[in-house]
Amino acid sequence: MKSNIYNWFFLILRRDLLMAFRRSSTYITPLIFFLIVISFFPIALSPDQDFLRSLAPGVIWIAALLSSLLAIETIFSEDFRDGTLDEFFISNDPSFVLVFAKVLCHWLVTGFPILLASLISSLILYLPVSSLLPMICSLILGTFFMSLLGAIGAALSLGKSAILSAIIVLPFSIPTLLMGTAAVSSAIDYQDYSGFLLIMGAMLAIGVPGLCLLTVEAILLNYE
Amino acid sequence: MLPKLKVSNLSCSRADNQLFDDLNFEVYPGQNIEIIGSNGSGKTTLLRILLGLIDIGDGEMEWLDNENNYNNFRSIDCFYQGHSLGIKNLLSAQENLRLSSYSFGVSEEKILSSLNRVGINNYSSFASEMSVGQKKRISIARWLLKDFGIYFIDEPFSALDDQASSLIVEIIKELNAKGASFVITGHRPSEIISNQITLDHEV
Repeated sequence: MKSNIYNWFFLILRRDLLMAFRRSSTYITPLIFFLIVISFFPIALSPDQDFLRSLAPGVIWIAALLSSLLAIETIFSEDFRDGTLDEFFISNDPSFVLVFAKVLCHWLVTGFPILLASLISSLILYLPVSSLLPMICSLILGTFFMSLLGAIGAALSLGKSAILSAIIVLPFSIPTLLMGTAAVSSAIDYQDYSGFLLIMGAMLAIGVPGLCLLTVEAILLNYE
Repeated sequence: MLPKLKVSNLSCSRADNQLFDDLNFEVYPGQNIEIIGSNGSGKTTLLRILLGLIDIGDGEMEWLDNENNYNNFRSIDCFYQGHSLGIKNLLSAQENLRLSSYSFGVSEEKILSSLNRVGINNYSSFASEMSVGQKKRISIARWLLKDFGIYFIDEPFSALDDQASSLIVEIIKELNAKGASFVITGHRPSEIISNQITLDHEV
């Protein structure tokens, strides 16, 4: 039976999620890291509510970016090491689907727990309730975009140092950081934040096809 | 009988090192090709070029399609197993087969019978709990999931005891009888009946 794209996509997703949940450090480490970074600010700077509220958008976004980068080198490294990636690439099915499934899996095991943890962080940093919706929306768009960027970094650094992928990705994460922070800050100041979310949505819409295709090419460079 | 794959004048060099030059061979149904060479002689590179994983060779590869015409794109269902076995330590033997990229349309009965055929009965044991030899057996069980046209296997006889080597020879013979062909690599000729290509450039 010839596989179709959906079967192919769900097979990769199911397999990777199963393995991620059996290796609990995959999703617990970013979660713990995120909460620790957030909780350091009231301890190190000041517990003052207004002060923490003014810092909150930047702190949450920086913590989210760094946490989502923790596991990016693992997106392809295991499959590359054990030969599974070769098998996927010689099949006649589109490699784009492989990359998208792996990015989605990475987001589900790192980005999604960060989303949940961000609700706790909003309490720690005294974020007003009115800013929760833009914070969640911007984190969904932003962390998924970070997973896409991370996939390219992971593909370019296959077989090399794990820190290399983070170094490749971090400079390109600045627009996401700016937009995400601006969206939450605007919500705190009761200003319109929809423009920032729309820009992040547009970045994601372009990023899904564009960055997935670039990642396929980046992976193939490792075989040359 | 038409060959499934025709390779003509295939050459490849890497970093001023000529890996192989002017290779010509054909892969017929039920027949095997063994690529013999030392480490670094280009065996794995040749397999990867044949499968289109890398595009650094010169020459021509023609694949037979369903209408008995030859095309430059791969129209035959192929199986590839590299040096690494493609076995996931966090999955059980059964899951490793069920969730492999070769498992589409394969029933659970077929998965279990394939594992039984290679002597793996502890289906639910994690691969991390198994020896290298047992993992190799799981990887061999994947050959049996479907009727592939050509199997490209990189050094299938390495790190195996005599019993497992005999099992591979047996399975290759069985699959040959169904019309499947094997292109395998190794450091020395194996016990399977095959046409041999030696990559003997100085490394």
